[in-house]
Amino acid sequence: MLSRVAESLFWMSRYVERAENTARFLEVNFNLLLDLNDITAIDHPNYWSPLIRVTGDPLNFTDRYPEYNAHTVTDYLVFDRQNSNSIISSIGMARENARSIIDSISSEMWEQINNLYHFLQSVSPQQVHNDPFSFYREIKNASHLFQGITDNIFSRTEGWEFIQIGKYLERADNTARLIDVKYHMLMPKVGQEREHDPVHDSFDTIQWMAVLKSCSALEAFRKVYLSKIDPDNILWFLVLDRTFPRSIAFSICAAQEALWRISGSSRHRYANNADRLIGKMEAELIYTTVEDMYRKGLHRFLEEIEQGLNRIGEQVHLLYFAYHTPKIEPNDVSEALPFTGIAGGRANWSQSQQQQQ
Amino acid sequence: MISLFERYDASSDRFFDEVLTAEGNPRGHYDKMVHRFGQFSLDDIRTRRQIVNIFFRNQGITFTVYGKDEGIERIFPFDLIPRIIPSHEWANIERGLIQRIVALNAFLSDIYSSQKILKDRIVPAELVLGSKHFKREFVGVRPPLGVYIHVTGSDIIRDRDGRYLVLEDNLRTPSGVSYMLQNRQALKRAFPVLFDRYKVRPIDNYPQELLRTLQEISPSSRPEPNVVVLTPGIYNSAYFEHSFLARQMGVELTEGRDLVVNNNKVYTRTTRGLQRVDVIYRRVDDDFLDPLVFRADSKLGVAGLINAYRKGNVALANAIGTGVADDKVIYSFVPKIIRYYLGEEPILDNVETWLASNPKEMKYILENLDTLVVKAANESGGYGMLVGPESTQEERERFAEKIVANPRNYIAQPTISLSRHPSFFNDAELGGCHIDLRPYVLYGNSPTIVPGGLTRVALKRGSLVVNSSQGGGSKDTWVIDE
Repeated sequence: MLSRVAESLFWMSRYVERAENTARFLEVNFNLLLDLNDITAIDHPNYWSPLIRVTGDPLNFTDRYPEYNAHTVTDYLVFDRQNSNSIISSIGMARENARSIIDSISSEMWEQINNLYHFLQSVSPQQVHNDPFSFYREIKNASHLFQGITDNIFSRTEGWEFIQIGKYLERADNTARLIDVKYHMLMPKVGQEREHDPVHDSFDTIQWMAVLKSCSALEAFRKVYLSKIDPDNILWFLVLDRTFPRSIAFSICAAQEALWRISGSSRHRYANNADRLIGKMEAELIYTTVEDMYRKGLHRFLEEIEQGLNRIGEQVHLLYFAYHTPKIEPNDVSEALPFTGIAGGRANWSQSQQQQQ
Repeated sequence: MISLFERYDASSDRFFDEVLTAEGNPRGHYDKMVHRFGQFSLDDIRTRRQIVNIFFRNQGITFTVYGKDEGIERIFPFDLIPRIIPSHEWANIERGLIQRIVALNAFLSDIYSSQKILKDRIVPAELVLGSKHFKREFVGVRPPLGVYIHVTGSDIIRDRDGRYLVLEDNLRTPSGVSYMLQNRQALKRAFPVLFDRYKVRPIDNYPQELLRTLQEISPSSRPEPNVVVLTPGIYNSAYFEHSFLARQMGVELTEGRDLVVNNNKVYTRTTRGLQRVDVIYRRVDDDFLDPLVFRADSKLGVAGLINAYRKGNVALANAIGTGVADDKVIYSFVPKIIRYYLGEEPILDNVETWLASNPKEMKYILENLDTLVVKAANESGGYGMLVGPESTQEERERFAEKIVANPRNYIAQPTISLSRHPSFFNDAELGGCHIDLRPYVLYGNSPTIVPGGLTRVALKRGSLVVNSSQGGGSKDTWVIDE
């Protein structure tokens, strides 16, 4: 299939997943704060700055907002168009990508993205501040609906695999970041990393439960661990569990299988760098224990996963989207990326309006 | 005469009505149709209208209007009453168009090689060589099979006497064929009963015929040449058509950035690497095709494409530089062109045309601006024209200045009262609307025409302009066997 179409499918899927996860980040934070039993804490910067640290660019935030609180962080992560990872930007990008390949996806898929886009245009920040939970539920449901439609009517062609890769790479990355938020909140003082000492008090258990809830994982977790809400178990479940579809290990396996179906690789035999890197990451996860994570430092462990996922994404781009002939290969890799993947590289609007005969 | 048609005013004294004779009776080939529609109530019409609207919306059949911010997508208005052309009239149109296209192709072939017609002074050399669509770079480049105009759509109108006249030839990238195909589908859904009394010739094979034509011009000897459609992108008003035709033919829809030229060969960039392209059905204008040769700021084209084309490694449909022959000034010479190359009399007549570049004719044009239609020679889509009887004094003065400043660029024609066809206004009443006809001629090994075409209809009351960009709609067009 055309590289451009594959790339747009990949990013369309990725951006929808990103929007859903941003909604989950915000939701878990509200959940946590409501459990504090201290209404004044809701606007405490320590509870909000970690969100910006793990989802985006703190400098971009502090340039334009006076302080970290519920309002500013919500505005930044939901409505701010200057933040390319905000929910509104993500859905805008998903829509642009879908629009550019509108003849390759079904009209139901397009309509769903388009509806979500228009829903976001119609919501005011005040509505979200008044009733955050309904709003985030709406975003999550819209994303699920989109993925459900895609599941049910998109042919299992190569394009489907790119949709899967986009979705699961993004999800693995976001789950890692979500756990990281919790980590940051337990360690409010930046720089002092208490590597070997996860806090075990009951208040923290409640917070970990909120993390589970935000991954829609509480019930699935309970089926495995009954009532033992223990941070080690939760960590194991969200990172290493092979059956829960939002865990990091599950997502990486799913992305890996999609990559295999495209390239024809199999276990122990990789055909390209993307397959090699994701195979390596999966193998490492299989033999990792929660102990290992603590030994490395949870934050560092998660960071390495995020970096690994980035490298895999880069390889997918170079392999399948940015194909170039060896003769005209530029020295600088960034020049070899003709599409930004987002909505860049689009034909010039005014030129494409040439007169019709 | 029954119900719906009872209150229809054909104004046969002023216009040629397609359906009713001057006496007010249905013409023979419309008789059964008028009776069928007589059995429908307005409620029926509204129900069918909804079926049609849902069909078009689901198919995503929209076009974009420019000039307003962002470009608004609209459903192309569709009129429920089909236009019927009896087979003997169609046979004449078909022969006439093929004659015309063969002659125009011979003309292009000549002016891009030995230029005999210019040396014999049949067509003034300055009109051809000075045309902005004449591409000097392609003199001496022979396209596969010697064919330049693989897909054309000439606009045909009928005058007050019902005579078929060619109004304009579109030899570059004529659009609208997807509407021709979709209109038939829509009407079949809405009014299956209409079809049972007529033998309507099918048109659904157009995409296959187009693909066959494109495969025929492939420069490679591979059994399955790789054909792609090249579109300017999603912001182009005809994007729907580009993607529709690509899907119907089962070929890739590409944008400029999907193609890459290496070693004078054209490839698509796919997830499996580069794939060789043999034929490009391009819907991008000449000037945007290759930034290395034409407009350097074009982002729609492919760098190196023209050299690959000159090397004969890829075929373009249509060829480059065909616009010189659909120039409205050259148009007035087409009868002479037909006689010159084919030694035949034109089967279809031209509309009488005055050239501003001729001093005597310019004088006539300037004196009669209020009755003439003045057109810029190189524009299309209804842009840059003055309809004399509908213009204001101020508009005429502004136009007169333009004509005097650049005579080569203007022609004038009498305001022809285009034939009218009963059509629905707001699904509430029937009114006579002006129509034209655009059949599509395909030219590979030999020219062929799918029986029918796009009938455009000026749905604004009294309007003469049928272009979709100017508020026109369309009808299903039937060629019937009696």
